[in-house]
Amino acid sequence: MRAMASVRAGVLAAVVLAIAAAASAQDTGPPYESARVAPVSAGVEFAGIFGPPDNTAFFNFTDYGSNALRVARVRLFGEWRPAAPLSFVGEVRIENARAVDLAALYVRWQPFRARPLEFRAGRVPPLLGSFPRRAYGRDNVVLGTPLAYQYVTSLRSDALPATIDDLLRMRGRGWQPSYPIGSPELAPGVPLISIAEWDTGVEASWRQGVFDASLGYTQGAPAVPVVHDRSRGWQWSGRLGATFKSGLAVGTSAALGAWLDDDVALLAAAPGVDARDQAVAGVDVEYGHGPWLTRAEWVYSRFSLPLVEYGGTELRLGAHSGYVEARYRVRPRVDIAMRLERLSFSSVTGSNGVATSWEAPVTRVEVGAGFRVNRHFDLRGGWQHNWRPAGRVHSRGYPVVAVLWWY
Amino acid sequence: MRWVRTTGIALVAALLLTPVGAAAPRAGSIRGRVAVPDVPVTAPRPGVAELSARPHDHVDRRRCVVYLESAPTLAFAELKPGRARMDQRGEQFVPRVLAITAGTIVDFPNNDRVFHNVFSLARTRSFDLGRYAPGRNGSVRFDRPGIIPVFCDIHSHMSAYVLVFSHPFFAVTDDAGRYEIDNVPPGTYTLLVWSELGRATAKKISVTDSGITEADFQVER
Repeated sequence: MRAMASVRAGVLAAVVLAIAAAASAQDTGPPYESARVAPVSAGVEFAGIFGPPDNTAFFNFTDYGSNALRVARVRLFGEWRPAAPLSFVGEVRIENARAVDLAALYVRWQPFRARPLEFRAGRVPPLLGSFPRRAYGRDNVVLGTPLAYQYVTSLRSDALPATIDDLLRMRGRGWQPSYPIGSPELAPGVPLISIAEWDTGVEASWRQGVFDASLGYTQGAPAVPVVHDRSRGWQWSGRLGATFKSGLAVGTSAALGAWLDDDVALLAAAPGVDARDQAVAGVDVEYGHGPWLTRAEWVYSRFSLPLVEYGGTELRLGAHSGYVEARYRVRPRVDIAMRLERLSFSSVTGSNGVATSWEAPVTRVEVGAGFRVNRHFDLRGGWQHNWRPAGRVHSRGYPVVAVLWWY
Repeated sequence: MRWVRTTGIALVAALLLTPVGAAAPRAGSIRGRVAVPDVPVTAPRPGVAELSARPHDHVDRRRCVVYLESAPTLAFAELKPGRARMDQRGEQFVPRVLAITAGTIVDFPNNDRVFHNVFSLARTRSFDLGRYAPGRNGSVRFDRPGIIPVFCDIHSHMSAYVLVFSHPFFAVTDDAGRYEIDNVPPGTYTLLVWSELGRATAKKISVTDSGITEADFQVER
C-alpha cells in the first residue's frame, strides 16, 4: 500500500513538474530586497441582481431610472500612484449595458507622511451616512438599497407644485410625479440622498486616534449631486466618526446644499425669497463581533421650496428614514441577513383642512441568505416586502437572487 | 490559481507519502536559493470610497517553501506540533506564507488599527474567525496537511497561505530567497518548491552525515 501511495504521488508530482518544464522560460528577477513596486492597482466587480419586473408598484425604482432589484452592474476601478503623496483614483460603472458612467475620478493627496491628513478633488466619495461608500457588491448585507438612498419621493428638482394639493396628489407616485410649474416632462422624483452619482468638488479628511473627521465642498445637494452646477449653490457636507476597539463604530454627518434648479425656483419664489436648500443630518452605527455584523442608520432631510399658494414663500418638507440590519455567518460559506426599514414624512395641511404626510410613508422588510462559492464569488437570494398606504399598489413582495463576483 | 491548486494536490500527496529509508542517528542540512520571476510587488485593490486612506503594505508574493517530498519514518514519530503566528498588520497578513507541521495551532492576532476577519474555504481546513478588533486574537488548529489559502472578509485585498506538512523538513525562503533545512537524516530525497509565482523543477538530492547539500531552484511562470 505504501509503495502504491508513493508511486501515485510520484506520478502526480511528475505531472506537475512536466507542466512546469513545458512552461515558457523566463528571466529571474533581482534579489528579493530590490523588488519593483507597481504604481498601478485595479479591481473589477460584477453584480447581477435578478428580481421580477415591476411596472406598477415601483418600490425599488431609482432616480437613475432603473430598478434596484433588477440590475446588472459592472464596476471597474483603479488607482495610479505616480509619487508617494499623490494618487489618481477612478471608477467606471456600467449598469444594464447602458452608457458608461464615470462614477469617480479624483486626485488623492496626502501631503504629510506622518500626519493622517488627506485631500481629495474631483468626483469624490460622498460623506453623508455610511451606506453610500459600501453601496455595491458584497458589503451590502441584503440585496436591496436602503429607502433613504433609493426610494424616489414625489419631489422633483426641475418642477414644482403650485399648491399643497398639487403635492398631495402625487403621494406615492415618486417614479413619475408631474407638477404645473417647471418641466412638463415626466421624470422620477428625488430620493433623500442620491447614490447614483457621487459629489463633485473638494474634500479633506483627518484621523486622530479612534476619531476621524471629513469636510466637503461640492456641487448640488444630497438629493441631486451634479457635475455641472444648475442651481446657485454649492454643498457643504461633513462627517465625524469614531471606531472603538470594542467593535463599535459610530458616525454622524450633515450636509446643506441647493437642490432646486435655478430656472424653476425663479418661477415660483417671491422677490427676495431663496427657498431651495436641502439640509440633511444623519447618524450611523456599526457593531461587529464574531459571526455578527449589525448596522443601523438614521437620516433626516428637510427640503425647502417656494410655494405659489403661499405667495412664493418657503415651504419646508421633512423626511425621516432609518434602518437596522444584521448579518450572521452560520458557517464559513453561509450567512443569513435581515434589514428592517421605515421612511416617513412630515405633515402638511391641504385645502380640505386635514393634516397628512406630504408623501406616503414606506415600510420595508428584507431577508436574505448568501453562499460563498469562493473568495471572489457569492450567490445570494432573498425576499423583500414593502408597504405603502398610497399609490397604485399598497403592498408588494419581491423574490430576488443575485450573483456577485469581484477581483 | 489553477496551478497552485494542482501543485497543492501534489504537495498533499507528497506529504502523505510513506517514509523512505531508515532513520539515521546523525543528520545533514540542505540549503540553497530560490530565484523567482521579476514580478513587481503589487499594491492592494484600490479603496475608491475610502475616506482617509491608510497606508497599506504592498503584496510581496515572492516567498517560496522548499520541502522534502517524503521523509524518514522517524520524522513522523518525532513530530511535535507547536504554535505559530500570522499577524494582521498594515492590512496584510504577515508573514504571507507560513509553513507548519500538522497539529500546529496558528494565532492570527490583529495588530492593525482596523477590524479584521480571517477565513478560509479550503477543503482541508475551512474556518471563519468572525470580526475582531485591534489587539484581539483568533486561533486555528491545522490537523491535516495541505495548502490553506487565508483571507479577510473585510479587506478583499488581504490573502495569505498556510502550508501544513506532515513532516518537519521544509523551509520558507528569506528576503534574499535563501533557505536551509536542518537535521535531515542521511538519504536520498526529492526536493520540491512551492511558490505563488510559478513552478520549479524538482531535484533529487543526497544528504550525508553532518554534510551540507546545496540545491538552487529557479521558479518559472
